[in-house]
Amino acid sequence: MMKIIAKERLPEVLQLLAKDYNVLVPAKFEGVSRFTPYSADVELALEENVLMPPKDIFFPQTEKMYKFKAKDKSLEIEELPVEKEEQLIFGIRSCDLKSLECLDQVFLTKGYVDHFYKDKRDRTALIALSCLQPQEACFCGSMGVDPQNGVGADIQAYDLKDKIGFKAISAKGQEILEKISGLLAEEEVTIPTFGEFNLKADIEGVPEKLQGMFDHPLWADICRKCLNCGACTYVCPTCHCFDIDSEVRGEDGVKIRCWDTCMFGEYTQMAGGHNPRPTKKERVRNRFMHKLRYFPERYKMLLCTGCGRCVVKCPVNLDITAIIKKIKEAE
Amino acid sequence: MPNPYLPYEMRIEKITEENPENDLKTFILSFLNEQDIERFKYLPGQFGEVGIMGVGEAPFGIASAPCERGILKFSVKRMGFFTKCLHQAEAGDIVSLRGPLGNSWPLEKLKGKDVVIIGGGFAFTTLRSLVRYIIEPENRSDFGQIDIVYGNREPGQILYKEEFKEWLTREDINLYLSIDREVPGWDKYVGFVPEITEKVINPSVTAIALVCGPPVMIKYTLPVLQNLGFTPDRIYTSLEMKMKCGIGMCGRCNIGSKYVCKDGPVFSMAELEQLPPEY
Repeated sequence: MMKIIAKERLPEVLQLLAKDYNVLVPAKFEGVSRFTPYSADVELALEENVLMPPKDIFFPQTEKMYKFKAKDKSLEIEELPVEKEEQLIFGIRSCDLKSLECLDQVFLTKGYVDHFYKDKRDRTALIALSCLQPQEACFCGSMGVDPQNGVGADIQAYDLKDKIGFKAISAKGQEILEKISGLLAEEEVTIPTFGEFNLKADIEGVPEKLQGMFDHPLWADICRKCLNCGACTYVCPTCHCFDIDSEVRGEDGVKIRCWDTCMFGEYTQMAGGHNPRPTKKERVRNRFMHKLRYFPERYKMLLCTGCGRCVVKCPVNLDITAIIKKIKEAE
Repeated sequence: MPNPYLPYEMRIEKITEENPENDLKTFILSFLNEQDIERFKYLPGQFGEVGIMGVGEAPFGIASAPCERGILKFSVKRMGFFTKCLHQAEAGDIVSLRGPLGNSWPLEKLKGKDVVIIGGGFAFTTLRSLVRYIIEPENRSDFGQIDIVYGNREPGQILYKEEFKEWLTREDINLYLSIDREVPGWDKYVGFVPEITEKVINPSVTAIALVCGPPVMIKYTLPVLQNLGFTPDRIYTSLEMKMKCGIGMCGRCNIGSKYVCKDGPVFSMAELEQLPPEY
């Protein structure tokens, strides 16, 4: 038995949750699908995953870190007030849930805690939504992700075509489910079978094989058409590199951080001019090595969830599944 | 757990010009808030992110030693935009500091061993911290013989000139100062660091070598050390890389799966042999 609601009545659930939470839903916003604060007039986008990954909910593209006032011979540093509002994401897919596992590793382990990330993570509840059909560039199944059962959600919602089913996973999820139970019916359901993936990647043994492939000629080949535009890192749910900078007006300033990308030369260029990754060959190699070799070595998991966004958005059709294949086949 | 991005507020107490070109300066900083002194516990080899608000932050090895209570010392070569701005600062100016960051020279491993310290040019900063730490009376007996080879282009480039003068008179360290080419009045060694090392160092079988200097110096010194019998697990160096966060999150300073800011900056040659040569 599962708690269900007819799909066209989903806004009633979201409306009710919006009383207690800042509810973020997948929606088309200015032509781009992304998680957007729920209101009655948002255009829900439930047929496929959003283009912009949910990472910016936890790790905004630009984020203020603290304020400062720098006068002649004096400096005052002031922490910014912490946002208290509880958030809830409805409709996060399995691949993007997996990306939060990756980001948790980066921002919450190995001796340091990134307060800005942790704060948002702690006050955000997650309602996952199962996928019915893979999109053209989806390959999460190859990366150990189950598109119908996410890991780490508070509630797993199931797309049952004309209905949506809800299953509480965590205690927090149970609480949330109770809030909306008045709108839900109980029904015996069958979860629809998932379609066939168009894209597949055989990742087995790839991290291990890459250990000996730093100097392999395939990197010169792979990087040839890359424009180093960085679009792949921007839409990637797991890419998390950032820059730290400040904005100053008179004596007052704000320390900020913003997304950065390993595709840019300045990213590693030092003051004396030395750059350990001077050309796109080194940069492209580092990007794929990081995802498929370095991150697994450091955190015991891949830094790719198979969401397919980089495959869709790359202007020159660099396809990570094709690169995995090349690595597999390389001598 | 404290927010690792929030800096300490520091006052520049003193600025020393270290070379005739005046592009190498040592900054002595003090903590604006007394209680921060105890919070900032560090070891030789660690670094800090020194910042000028509105200009930026950059990583520098800490040149002072923990026994020099209440102050921190950084020697900075003018290289790019941030260091240019830092060089324009005056005593009394306020800067920010995050740290201590990174690992340290392998103090535990050095205990009871002879230590061979090899430095070149303005890279002697955290090595200075280590020497200062070792010669502190309460620490000195923890370490064996101390040999220091310190090479420079010419005498004017030597960092901490007064201190080296004093160290030359100490009986508990063997100090070999060298310059690349003969100049009038120079009565110490002449030659490049690798050849001086080969000439003067006669290490015990458990001695540990710590090397820090320009890449070309390191490149030619390593084979010399290996010929002298140092195994890769007994040779350490400290690496530099572009950094921002300093805590292993922002991504840019990786060599393979290691972050220089967090897993380094000190690595043994045995560790570096396991990593791709991308630094």
